[in-house]
Amino acid sequence: MAAPLGAQRIPRPAPSIETFETIVDEYQRRLYGFALRMTGNREDAEEIVQDAFVRAFRALGKMTDEQRAELRLQPWLYTITLNVTRNRLRSKRPTNVALDALADPDALLSGTGEGPDSPEQIVERGTDMALVEQALLQLPMHLRAAATLRFIEGRSHPEIAEILQQPIGTVKSHVHRAVRILRRVLAPQVGRLAPAGDPTHAVL
Amino acid sequence: MRCCDVEALWDEMRDGVEPRREHVLAHLRRCPTCQDHYRQYEGVAYCLSCLPIVEPPPGLVPKILDHIKSVRGARYAVPDGIARIPSPLGTLYVAFRPAGITYVAIDRGTPFEAVCAEIERRLHRAVRAADAPRWVTERLRRYFTTWETDADRIDLSDLSEFERAALRKAMEIPPGEVRSYSWIAREIGHPHAARAVSQAMARNPLALLVPSHRVVDATGALHNYGYGLDLKARILGMEGYAPGPARSRA
Repeated sequence: MAAPLGAQRIPRPAPSIETFETIVDEYQRRLYGFALRMTGNREDAEEIVQDAFVRAFRALGKMTDEQRAELRLQPWLYTITLNVTRNRLRSKRPTNVALDALADPDALLSGTGEGPDSPEQIVERGTDMALVEQALLQLPMHLRAAATLRFIEGRSHPEIAEILQQPIGTVKSHVHRAVRILRRVLAPQVGRLAPAGDPTHAVL
Repeated sequence: MRCCDVEALWDEMRDGVEPRREHVLAHLRRCPTCQDHYRQYEGVAYCLSCLPIVEPPPGLVPKILDHIKSVRGARYAVPDGIARIPSPLGTLYVAFRPAGITYVAIDRGTPFEAVCAEIERRLHRAVRAADAPRWVTERLRRYFTTWETDADRIDLSDLSEFERAALRKAMEIPPGEVRSYSWIAREIGHPHAARAVSQAMARNPLALLVPSHRVVDATGALHNYGYGLDLKARILGMEGYAPGPARSRA
């Protein structure tokens, strides 16, 4: 699903606003989704993505041709988005955790994809999803970033290390710690949500 | 292979690059504890991967591009100056242009660069660090000595008609007093728009100089403030407001 790392090279000269449009177009969905999972708030996510692209555009304008040629766009954009998110969450009152009704029924309906569910299933699934979202938001920032990039964005360990600018070993241990916390908090949801054809059966 | 070694490896297997895959699987088949952990681990991963993909709001791309164009600078607009000004409430970030003060933010420990980014997004213009001209510091001094709020040297021209009306009405609330969102809504001729008034207050670009902190909910509860309720209470106290028992006012 995700483009291979660094597949998108940026034109050597600094991009004009017109060429930058293709970059915005290609990455806005992914970065918005990431910012939303990190903040749990749509308004924040939208503003974070806006700020991130402005920063990216400016930074590209200041780089030399060589720097631009070296740049791996996707992890770099994630890094910028994460930095903007961090700044924003740091300055935010901790009381502001009003979850933005993230798991809205429409998204869930279109999200499951596999045939029509009964209304009860949809409701139950919606509640479970909301709990999964909340559990993720309760994680400390660095664990949340690692878990989101690993399991939601589907990035590999080396990519995550590049995005978080941390050694791979640190990334792995953060991912593990995040899972350890989540599996404690989410035990009932894990039982219910994991499909009957348990994914582990394939390998075991 | 020991349990702890296996646990470290199975996440790698998700990428399909782990050369010791067979060993890990062999261990998992033998060891019920690890099997259990592995199931839970995969279960958590599965739950996270099931979270619905939320689409960005429509029109985000043009919005981003407009934003970039507007902050790109000179071709579109002369950037506003932005200065740090010390105050009894800590540092204030004040943006200004010849027409007046365009933004006042109270420092919350956010890095300067992030404050600028936020202000640029709100103003749809670039801002550039500059020394505060005398008229700016004088204007703030006047607020901090008299608590008076009036339209002098205030530039609200970037806002919508409704926001401007609501904020101007808030400026008429005398220091030491508060009014409700619905009072403002009534006064500006939109009696059913108390919610919209509350949003306009939340988006007030000129903290203090436009006293959105003097607007409370119908019961007299402070309700909300962009810089936190503690600060709202502190500013009101500073201005001489003594809250009575919660009651309906105006």
